[in-house]
Amino acid sequence: MSGAVVTGARAGLVSCETCKLLTRPVNAEHAGHCPRCGATLEVRRVQSLQRTWALIIAAAICYIPANLLPVMVSNTFATSDAETIMGGVVYLYSSGSWPLALIVLVASVMVPLGKLLALGYLLVSVQRGMAGSHHERARLFRIVVFIGRWSMLDVFVATFTVALVQLQPLMSVLPGAGVLFFAAVVVLTMLAAETFDPRLLWDSATDMEKQDG
Amino acid sequence: MADGSERDDLPQATVVPKKRTRVSTVWVIPILAAVVAVGIAVQRVLSEGPTVTIVFKNAQGIEAGKTVVKYKDVSIGQVAAVQLSNDYSSVKVTAKIAKSAAGLMVEDAKFWVVEPRITLSGVSGLGTLLSGNYIGFEAGKSASSEDSFSGLEVPPIITDQPGRQFVLKADNLGSLGIGSPVYYRRLPAGQVVAYALAKDGQAVEIRIFVNAPYDSYVNAGTRFWNASGFDLSVSADGLDVQTQSMVALIAGGLAFETPPFSPAAEPAAADAEFILHGDQVTAMKQPEPMARRYVLNFDESLRGLSVGAPVTLLGLPGGEVTSVGLDVDPKTQRLRGRVEFVVYPERLVAQMHDPEQVRGEMLARVSARREAFFERMVEDFGLRAQIQSGNLLTGQRYVSFDFHPDAPKAKVDWSKDKAVVPAIPSTLPNFEAKIGSILEKLDKLPYEALGADTRKVLATLNQTLKDAGQAVKRFDSDVTPDLKKALEEISRATASADRLIKNTDKGLLAPDSPGQQDLREAMREVARAARSLRVLTDYLERHPEALLRGKN
Repeated sequence: MSGAVVTGARAGLVSCETCKLLTRPVNAEHAGHCPRCGATLEVRRVQSLQRTWALIIAAAICYIPANLLPVMVSNTFATSDAETIMGGVVYLYSSGSWPLALIVLVASVMVPLGKLLALGYLLVSVQRGMAGSHHERARLFRIVVFIGRWSMLDVFVATFTVALVQLQPLMSVLPGAGVLFFAAVVVLTMLAAETFDPRLLWDSATDMEKQDG
Repeated sequence: MADGSERDDLPQATVVPKKRTRVSTVWVIPILAAVVAVGIAVQRVLSEGPTVTIVFKNAQGIEAGKTVVKYKDVSIGQVAAVQLSNDYSSVKVTAKIAKSAAGLMVEDAKFWVVEPRITLSGVSGLGTLLSGNYIGFEAGKSASSEDSFSGLEVPPIITDQPGRQFVLKADNLGSLGIGSPVYYRRLPAGQVVAYALAKDGQAVEIRIFVNAPYDSYVNAGTRFWNASGFDLSVSADGLDVQTQSMVALIAGGLAFETPPFSPAAEPAAADAEFILHGDQVTAMKQPEPMARRYVLNFDESLRGLSVGAPVTLLGLPGGEVTSVGLDVDPKTQRLRGRVEFVVYPERLVAQMHDPEQVRGEMLARVSARREAFFERMVEDFGLRAQIQSGNLLTGQRYVSFDFHPDAPKAKVDWSKDKAVVPAIPSTLPNFEAKIGSILEKLDKLPYEALGADTRKVLATLNQTLKDAGQAVKRFDSDVTPDLKKALEEISRATASADRLIKNTDKGLLAPDSPGQQDLREAMREVARAARSLRVLTDYLERHPEALLRGKN
């Protein structure tokens, strides 16, 4: 990448995000709409950083009750057990099945937390105009987006269990409030990954290159 | 922008004016999330009830996070932690109580572990077999709240059902236990709820709970007695077995009743004290204010006469023996039996016929007149005490007062503290005397005269036999020849009859006799007829129409 790379932004052009048509924006502030597909044109996603921040903060808030409130409430004859995610991990570990405990720990506790931290790091790095390690950050972003779709697995398992284990007088499983918050964390982090504009990552790179050039 | 203006062939974007706010509306989401999370947290904090600690001897079946605290079968809290106490001697259970039940955590509230209990008098806590043990709770009456309790070892008496508690004092616990039934007219009316040694260690205090409405039948005059097991007593009245119910037989029990003679009274107050009697008879014993003690002296064996043996007047019970012992006759310096007994004039008066009762009661009331009456009975009519056998099998004996007009004259000795009543020897020693007199009479029989008479009778018998011998001889010589002739005639007649029968045999039954031949022929004819009949029936079976159409 020697010399100045011609980017759309530098050339004063905007690519439609929907149909990828390269257009000339109306003016610098208002890019206008794509003449082909009608989608709103944006040089960079509007308020990308702000929105992502908002969603990440919302997800972080929801992450606390998701871990503190019970995910599933199982009722047998007279006993009622409310299990939180960490409680389940501890139970699985203490009952000897540490591989399962590890899976639950990674999928349900560490992955959402990792997504939040990763997105937060990306946002901070963009806001600070951090130079270097663009490729690593881009890969991190791709991983966050990829993992997002698998994070609903917990919610999926919980809803399945609740639907299947309804042996009324003997045993029944009811969803706890925690699972709602957990689902909210997953959805909000997915949305946050969606609103984050990865092009912002490369702005500093092109800026740097421009400075170099 | 310089590059953009150069490419005119590219289409020009359209302008849609749009108002843009500086701050994104997406911030509503984290605010909403925060509000919800804070709301849940606030609700949690607000709904948090008190946390109480309960100290138990052991934590059997109690699990942190699982065991619940139940009041009237409603869960009011959950055990949060189970720890050993600092000195490791007991278990400290920390339970979170629902806010709605916070008002119940008062000083005298009770906690205990509910587990399946199978006692002889019933099964309780069966539900815990499936659900696991839980902590039972019973509200207190105090107003000051408390957060640390010591758990009970045994479930307390559930006092929310109407009824009252009473305290019974007994010599010993017998076979009673907590939960032993209390019966009223053999209806289960309550149960033993607690027992403890009295403070002085000389009695057992048994606390019972009598359910409503039975508790209203407990008044100051009510008697309680131990109906535990079965009561087998052997007395002069015979074998006596008493029991209340099968449960009482196994698990022990109490019974109460208000005797008919006790004055009507208000129902007893709760926690009133009563004496627990050993058995129904002693419990229901009427107080005998006019009981008098008397002494009897006997010159015979007192074996079989025990303390408590009845004293009867004309067979009706009127008192009982209170002591059996020895004494020295002051006149003769001879050892003799001394029997002390008590008489209950009320009992005798109660058995009198109605018009006499008034007079009898008067008699019983005035001591001097009663004594005079008794003296007259003894001196004029010969009322005497006597030991009699009550039961031949058990050998128990009793003191009986009966009239013996032919008894030697005697007087009641009022000089002593306890009046000495005249007695006569029992009839059992008389038995021997009677046998003796029978033997004496046998001795006096005129055996020699009897022997002479017997000899005379034998001589006469001899003569008679001789006469009989002569009669037989005469019969021999006169009757026997005629008899011989008659027998010969009979013999001849028999021989001719024999011949006649033989001839008949020859004529009729010989193989070549005409009778036999005719018979054989006739039989043959019959056989032939039978054969043709069979042919006919066979034909008819095959051709039934032949009956109508004929044989073709």
